[in-house]
Amino acid sequence: MADERGLMARVARGDQAAFGDLAQRYSPKLLAVAGRLLGSRADAEDAVQRAFLQCYAGATGYNARWAVSTWLYRILTNVCVDELRRRATRTAHDERSAAGALSAASGNHQPPAAYLDLHRALARVPREARVLLALRYVDGLSYGELARIRGISVNTVKSQLARGKTLLRDELGKRGAGHE
Amino acid sequence: MSDVISDVSKPDRLDVLLAEYFRPEAAPAGLARKIAAAARESGSALERLERRLGIEATSRGVSLVRTGRPEKPATAAARRLAEQAREEIHEYLRGQRAFFRVPVDLSAVPDFQRRVLEAAGHIPFGEARPYAWIAARIGHPRAVRAVGTALGRNPVPLILPCHRVWRSDGGLGGYIFGTGIKDRLAALERTTPVLEGCTSTRIVCRVGCIHGRHMRPDNRVVFASVDDARSVGYRPCKVCRPAA
Repeated sequence: MADERGLMARVARGDQAAFGDLAQRYSPKLLAVAGRLLGSRADAEDAVQRAFLQCYAGATGYNARWAVSTWLYRILTNVCVDELRRRATRTAHDERSAAGALSAASGNHQPPAAYLDLHRALARVPREARVLLALRYVDGLSYGELARIRGISVNTVKSQLARGKTLLRDELGKRGAGHE
Repeated sequence: MSDVISDVSKPDRLDVLLAEYFRPEAAPAGLARKIAAAARESGSALERLERRLGIEATSRGVSLVRTGRPEKPATAAARRLAEQAREEIHEYLRGQRAFFRVPVDLSAVPDFQRRVLEAAGHIPFGEARPYAWIAARIGHPRAVRAVGTALGRNPVPLILPCHRVWRSDGGLGGYIFGTGIKDRLAALERTTPVLEGCTSTRIVCRVGCIHGRHMRPDNRVVFASVDDARSVGYRPCKVCRPAA
């Protein structure tokens, strides 16, 4: 933690090497979260870039009481959630909305076949719960950290996760019935 | 609740599946360098535009946004509105505002052009529509060229978003401040969120609301919809009324 804060202090002073370090250390996890939420590798890279850009510009104000990862996840989920909003409005305004929604859901980044059912089931989980699931499983974040990242109470985190998983089990149960 | 607790103690099949699905991915080479380069150049063109802007207003609303020296406002009300417009444009160009509150005065604008501009005002923030969309919306589907001309003479660009009107083939079309700026504005709106919640008050606002100005940066969370925000315990702001 102390080491991370030192790194942040160097980033704040405009130290490019420190910034490179930060980007290298966190981008794999951030890419995984963004990729699974946005469904495309290109969109994920774009989102991660934007998140780091905001962090580099210092526009989002690092709070030194936080773990650096908490702060980065906050910025990244802000970027991703806004991207999801944009897609939803775009689809709603698109006259060929049915076709649009279908191609948006499958994206150009198909997960391995083993996860295809999960991928489709996740698309049915409400956005806020999906974001929490991604953060929870990418980095094993605690309920407290998840609450801080999304600015919600720990109880809301727990109920959203439980609801998301119940929905997933139901969806997978429906799909898996033929296979097992 | 018990469901969640049991999940923590013994991971089941779903947990294993989720952990595999969400495993970290290798970062592309040179990502940090690309970001640093983007950080150096972002915003500079829009800042230069802002410094050159002159804003005129009547006592009813903003009447002109152009580069160059503006006429002096005739009344105190007009001066206040011009100042409000300058402030809102300043925030908008910095990605801190997703809507304009300042009224516009289109009384000197011909009827056809006013309808074109009002139609452009209905294009949501961060989106684009073709010239033909505007033409169809105002009931003159064949008047695409006239729509382009009317938008090109928009007296209040930025505030009435003629920059959100593009060619149907995805081309930028023209723009009063140049197509470079039009492109920058599209990029700006792609990266400016529209709804933000305050983690200490649990209130969700439109970005640019007066409440947001007093919000600490580390208290900001972005939401995709008011319903999403409600689902995790936030309520919509009564000032900017994001649900409306």
